[in-house]
Amino acid sequence: MGKKRKHAEASEAPKEEVAQDRPKRTLLGWKDGVPEKQNSSPVFRNREKVLVTCSRRITYRYRHLMLNVVSLLPHCKKDSKVESKESKGATLNELIELRNYSSCLFFECRKQKDLYLWMVKCPSGPSVKFLVNAVHTMEELKLTGNHLKGSRPILTFSSNFDKEPRWKLIKEMIVQIFGTPKDHRKVKPFHDHVFVFSIVDGHIWFRNYQISVPHNETDKVDRGGLDKMTLVEVGPRFCLNPIKIFGSSFGGPTFYENPFYISPNQIRALEKKKAGKYSKKVKAKTRRKMHELSNPLEPDEFADLWKD
Amino acid sequence: MFQFGLALPISNMVALRGKEFQLNEKELEDGNVGGVDDEEFESESESDPEEVAVSEPAKNAVYNKEALLEKLDDIAWPQNIEWIHKLTVDHAVEQEVDVNDDLARELAFYTQALDGTRQAFEKLQSMGIPFLRPPDYYAEMVKSDAHMLKVKGKLLVEKKKIEDAEERKKAREAKKLAKEVQAQKTKERAKRKKEDIESVKRWRKQRQQSGFARGKDEELDLSPDEEKSFEKSKKRRTGVAPADRSGGFKRKGGNEKGRKQREFREAKFGHGGRKGMKKQNTAESTNDFKGFNKDEFSASKRKKK
Repeated sequence: MGKKRKHAEASEAPKEEVAQDRPKRTLLGWKDGVPEKQNSSPVFRNREKVLVTCSRRITYRYRHLMLNVVSLLPHCKKDSKVESKESKGATLNELIELRNYSSCLFFECRKQKDLYLWMVKCPSGPSVKFLVNAVHTMEELKLTGNHLKGSRPILTFSSNFDKEPRWKLIKEMIVQIFGTPKDHRKVKPFHDHVFVFSIVDGHIWFRNYQISVPHNETDKVDRGGLDKMTLVEVGPRFCLNPIKIFGSSFGGPTFYENPFYISPNQIRALEKKKAGKYSKKVKAKTRRKMHELSNPLEPDEFADLWKD
Repeated sequence: MFQFGLALPISNMVALRGKEFQLNEKELEDGNVGGVDDEEFESESESDPEEVAVSEPAKNAVYNKEALLEKLDDIAWPQNIEWIHKLTVDHAVEQEVDVNDDLARELAFYTQALDGTRQAFEKLQSMGIPFLRPPDYYAEMVKSDAHMLKVKGKLLVEKKKIEDAEERKKAREAKKLAKEVQAQKTKERAKRKKEDIESVKRWRKQRQQSGFARGKDEELDLSPDEEKSFEKSKKRRTGVAPADRSGGFKRKGGNEKGRKQREFREAKFGHGGRKGMKKQNTAESTNDFKGFNKDEFSASKRKKK
């Protein structure tokens, strides 16, 4: 298996130059006017192919989220589950190389609770590990929106994606992975949904909206028609918290580490420690003492009535 | 409205780095493990020194900007590719959105999406590419028909719930009103009755004062039993069956259940007619030994012997 060529290289491949020279044939002979539109800029062809898979023992919600993502990306392939072990990276790399994928979304579920998402550019690209929060699948969100399966989404990014190198990198990866290639065979030729990627509070929030334009306006879209446009949410919803960015696919040197990240395990452990029985009792005792000190009893006027 | 309504429970589930952390600590300090009030904790947690330490960034965190940018250059698409390949729109965010305010957050996302879509559509339009789905273009959708049916069902159920609640409320109010109206009516009726009696009394007094002058015949006939005209007359009505001991005053029909019961009892125990004939022996009953146990009788006889 040869390495996948870079896009820039692919565009300058000599093969295409040769193909260009040949005039087009019609039924009656050679066509004279060969369209020469490509010579201004090299041909760019997006050959994105995304592997979507998950770890074993994933819970149903996260699995449904994965299936939702699969239904949103016509250029992806779903594969069988992978054991979530140390060697998962090697396994996945092998799989990716075997099938010639150019990127991968790996949903890793740990302890039946926490979902991590690996967003990987293959074979040499960086990989980002996210913690996925606030997961809502399409099924559980009873939202009224719906859109064509396989129509190309419009990707909207909040402007703070361009502020820092890490966000820039993540944005580029999202554009490549979540954007559907233009001439993909499963693509439908209309645009009726829009993805929102927005950074709020250091997390990337994802939303998916249907674009609904009143029907009579569709034939003659003018400014008026666009003004009447509304959006209806389709789902799913999730929120990505970047943990680490690695240099190569599923591993390699760490380029970025989220300094604010605290793993859910740590949070749970601390919670448990804090919520222990003993500490609760101690706290109750001190609270009682404070209460008694702050509200002293009035001296009893009949206290020494029967003393004699 | 529908979407936003759904968005509400999110913030409680969002485990946001420091926030959840702070929440738990504060909660325990206050000692009320049960009731969680988010806003309160948010506002209080700001001043606590312990939590500041927790949400402080880790010092040894790696952030290799050069390597990141290099990698970005590595994977990036060529700069001069047409926009149609990317379909990306950037949206300038005016101000920071509060993450825990669900409505504000969702609104921010919505405006971003709407604004982005407008820009994108303008670009597409300027390119002259058809981009909107014609109404007669049918193809597979992301959500199946079964799913959409469920969604519709849920909407209908919610609508019905609201309607039912409104109806109940209306009925309650109507009942209250009806009660008042009824009370007023009875009051009025009592008043009228009193007035009638008063007027009759007045009239009698007048007649007495005038010395029972024979003016109008009808009035004279009426006078003896005028007082009893308000009560039911005890006289037997005409056309009443002689067996009816109530003299035709018993309500006809009565309530359905009671009548049925009566009929049943009469069929069972008999009603009217002579009872004597039923209790006398006949030739048949005399010869019928069904009621006796012959064997037992003879056995006891033998024992005695």
